Amino acid sequence: MTIQSSSYPDTRRRRITEVLFRFATMVALVLVLAPALWLILGVIFRAVPHWKWSVITTPTQGTSGGLENAILGTLLLMAGVLIIAGSAGVLAGIHLAELARPRRSGKSSGSFLRTASEVLSGFPSIVLGYVGYVALVVGLHWGFSLLPALLILSMMVIPYIAKSTESALRQVPTNYREGAEALGMSTGYALRKVMLKSALPGIVTGLLLALAIAGGETAPLLYTAGWTNNLPSASLVHHPVAYLTYPVWTFYNQPSSEAHYLSYDAALLLMVLVLVLLVASRIIVARTQRHSEGRRG
Amino acid sequence: MAIVAGSTGLPASPPASGVHPIRRSSLAWRIGGAIRANEEQAWRWSARVASLIPLGALAFVLTVLAVKAWPAIKVNGVGFLTSSSWKPGNTYGATVHTDGVAHPLGASYGAWPMIAGTLQTSAIAVALAVPISIGAAFALTERLPRWLSQPLGFAIEVLAGIPSVIIGLWGVLTLGPFLSKHVYPIVADQMPDVPVLRYFRNPTGHGEGLLTSGIVLALMIVPIIASTTRDLFLQVPPLPKEGAEALGMTDAEVARRVTVPWVRAGIIGATVLGLGRALGETIAVAMISGSILGSVAPNIYGTMTTIAATIVTQLDSAATDGTGFATATLAEAGLLLAVISVVVNLIARGIVVRTSRLGAPVGRA
Amino acid sequence: MTRTFRAKIAMPAVMLAMVTILAACSSSAVPSTTSTASNATTSGIETPPKVSLSETGSTLLYPLWNIWAPAYNQTYPQVSITTAGTGSGTGISDASNGTVDIGSSDAYLSSSQVQAHPTLLNIPLAISVQVIAYNVPGVTAHLKLSGSLLSSIYQGKVTEWNDPAIAALNPGTTLPSIPIVTLHRSDGSGDTFIFSQYLSKADPSGWGTKVSFGTTVPWPAAPGALGENGNGGMVSGCKATVGCIAYVGISFLSQLLGDGLTYGQLQNGQGNYELPTSTAVAAEAAYFAPKTPANGTISMIYGPVAGGYPIINYEYAIVDSTQQSSPTAKAIRSLLEWSVDPNKGNSAQYLSQVSFQPLPATVVAQSSKQIAKIQ
Repeated sequence: MTIQSSSYPDTRRRRITEVLFRFATMVALVLVLAPALWLILGVIFRAVPHWKWSVITTPTQGTSGGLENAILGTLLLMAGVLIIAGSAGVLAGIHLAELARPRRSGKSSGSFLRTASEVLSGFPSIVLGYVGYVALVVGLHWGFSLLPALLILSMMVIPYIAKSTESALRQVPTNYREGAEALGMSTGYALRKVMLKSALPGIVTGLLLALAIAGGETAPLLYTAGWTNNLPSASLVHHPVAYLTYPVWTFYNQPSSEAHYLSYDAALLLMVLVLVLLVASRIIVARTQRHSEGRRG
Repeated sequence: MAIVAGSTGLPASPPASGVHPIRRSSLAWRIGGAIRANEEQAWRWSARVASLIPLGALAFVLTVLAVKAWPAIKVNGVGFLTSSSWKPGNTYGATVHTDGVAHPLGASYGAWPMIAGTLQTSAIAVALAVPISIGAAFALTERLPRWLSQPLGFAIEVLAGIPSVIIGLWGVLTLGPFLSKHVYPIVADQMPDVPVLRYFRNPTGHGEGLLTSGIVLALMIVPIIASTTRDLFLQVPPLPKEGAEALGMTDAEVARRVTVPWVRAGIIGATVLGLGRALGETIAVAMISGSILGSVAPNIYGTMTTIAATIVTQLDSAATDGTGFATATLAEAGLLLAVISVVVNLIARGIVVRTSRLGAPVGRA
Repeated sequence: MTRTFRAKIAMPAVMLAMVTILAACSSSAVPSTTSTASNATTSGIETPPKVSLSETGSTLLYPLWNIWAPAYNQTYPQVSITTAGTGSGTGISDASNGTVDIGSSDAYLSSSQVQAHPTLLNIPLAISVQVIAYNVPGVTAHLKLSGSLLSSIYQGKVTEWNDPAIAALNPGTTLPSIPIVTLHRSDGSGDTFIFSQYLSKADPSGWGTKVSFGTTVPWPAAPGALGENGNGGMVSGCKATVGCIAYVGISFLSQLLGDGLTYGQLQNGQGNYELPTSTAVAAEAAYFAPKTPANGTISMIYGPVAGGYPIINYEYAIVDSTQQSSPTAKAIRSLLEWSVDPNKGNSAQYLSQVSFQPLPATVVAQSSKQIAKIQ
């Protein structure tokens, strides 16, 4: 200690506080990681002993069979969300970052749109599912099918993609922008060749996070996609789609143990899917950062 | 200049002798210019439309909700927010009309237990999650070596992606029974019979209830707050922290007086993100809350329900009320939840903007 | 190709293409046999075209659908049937919304539902039974439970298992002094419907006026009461909760017994206590069969039958008589005809697996007439 402490007990109190603080932070870290580890191990230990590879190749029949329909359905939903929400979200992010720059004098239209986007991202998913059911499934007579599910899921994840695109674009150094303008590049060209390339890690992270969110949703899909034993077809309406979260939600308290195993298997598959998406985003970020300047190491 | 010309597809014909390269084909130049201008317009226009999608979606959702809920709003009135009954009425009996709205005889809905349940579980979740997340973020950024904190940080981000239905499943099968057998009885037996702590006394139930739901929700929002806070802490410039250390402050004091105030806006933003998730969380709470409509939990272990969980368990069967009144009431509950979520979000943005020197949330929040 | 192109366009396109190819390959692998296999059909069952049917609703009927669907597919593999157990309330509402082809319900349609959707039919398919299960350590006997006692329990007036009211009905059994935990269905449920009807008829001035019956009722605040999802939730919840009492469909009987739970003898309209044996159920059904109207809407609860079990009901298929497509209508008719045929779906081979009773002959004829209306 370089300062002259005013009183002896004060220093001791500060030391005790310091020790408690260090201890408390480690305890907090353990409290964050331990239940999660318990959860993951719990799912693995319930699913792995009864795992059969036929689960991936057999569709569900009642409360037994396999999960092929659910796996393909989840992948199809993710692909659809990537296309719809990905394009809309990236474009929205581009608008907020580049094309509607906040003026120094006060708020721009951008902040209003940003607020709306953040409010939508915090919206309860069951309410969105209900609106999808009332307006699209029943109202427009689409029935439980792919299109209402994709529209509602996209609504949920567009704010995340827009936000990550915007923040990724904002982190591109201004020199790049100015250089592009100095060279006379059109906005579109500059965006494609310069800005988006540098912002790609952030954008891809946002996209993959959005896919993980979409794949893990249950409530909105219950009321838009329905459920079916059949494998997904190409039709957008009138044919329900299966998805992995359904067996987890409904099969765990069915009486048959086969149903329980399917429930745990679906949970395991979901966790693997989320892990793959997040690891992929990390790899992409690391690989692209190797070529860019200003690595965070 | 030649680069620009090539990018818009001008013909690469050799220059005519004596003519300036740019003016070699004024038609091609005009076409190129038109393409460039249109491309610019196309980008601007499509980006603007895309940025309006969240606003349009929000307006659409609120409109549909309001339209569907209107009959119920008329009949239920303000009492919806304060009354505690959830009576669908005699759906197999006569239909009566109030204010021009048809509903079964004896139908009377009050959402107070749901509102209380929503606020209580979210409050517990935030109260547990925020200190733990901040502490964990400190541990990650200050205490641990880089080779350990990076993978652990990544692990926390993976946790944020675990679907809520899996967390709910684990809560029902593992955590709830564990807590009710090993933790709650010990806590409940030690509690004296004084006003606030009375809430923690027996009966401890069977694992499904308010406290378990709050704990499960906390587990869900901790990764969001913790990873955002960790990113924020990494962005705090080292100079103020080193200066504080040079003045002789302990790590705890540096944390309290320098680091946290620097990123307070971001932490609040992340907390609100977590709060928003907790308010709207449906599936996990539906599995672990005990699903009791019509009464507030008598003590902290008691069974209850939240607005979101009620909607998901009652929606399918609400349509059996042939008058449509039950569905309209659930729409009203959904509208209420939407309004609560919007208000919370706006308040938080207001706090963030007001307390932040930089004018915008820092970090990934 | 630039990285942007790869990441944003090629990757999703490839994923989508892969998924579509997988889907197309798998769907083309489904055998599309023509109707030649079923030329020598039993009378009345039509040969369906190749369609997908969806069924949802009653968790009480759900185990039987999971037995019926594969059996039906053995003769008619061209119809792919998706079943779900979501509660009778969902069955009724999805059938009326048109989002499902067949809704299953233990409860018949109410007059307001019929007014709102005049083309809906409730078609009896089988006779099912409800039992009152409980988890009381040390008690393996079938306790005598009356309707008014159950009403008091579910209203929170009787809160311990060794309450004098229960002991009075069961003098020979030692009952422990543990609290009663009442379980009820949180989803809209036909089981709730028939249970609350029983309580309303057995305790008209108490339960009947205060709570009444329906697929959802305002459950009185009994201490420690729990809401469960589906019959499966009732069974697993009761297994996990010592001192519980729950109303469960008989199709879950083997799981109940396997989990160490027992069920009670219920007091019927004549004051006698009966177990849900097939004789008792048949006696009750025989009383109501001739009274069943053409549209199938009748309550068979608490009949004045001396030896009858008081909680039995028809399991209904809720179907819209006006279908969007006639191939679908034909497939629905075929499936339902198969289900009510006493030699096919309604035979003991399938019904005994879930402890259901077959429809009486008069009701089979009535159901067939209703099925013929589906176009």
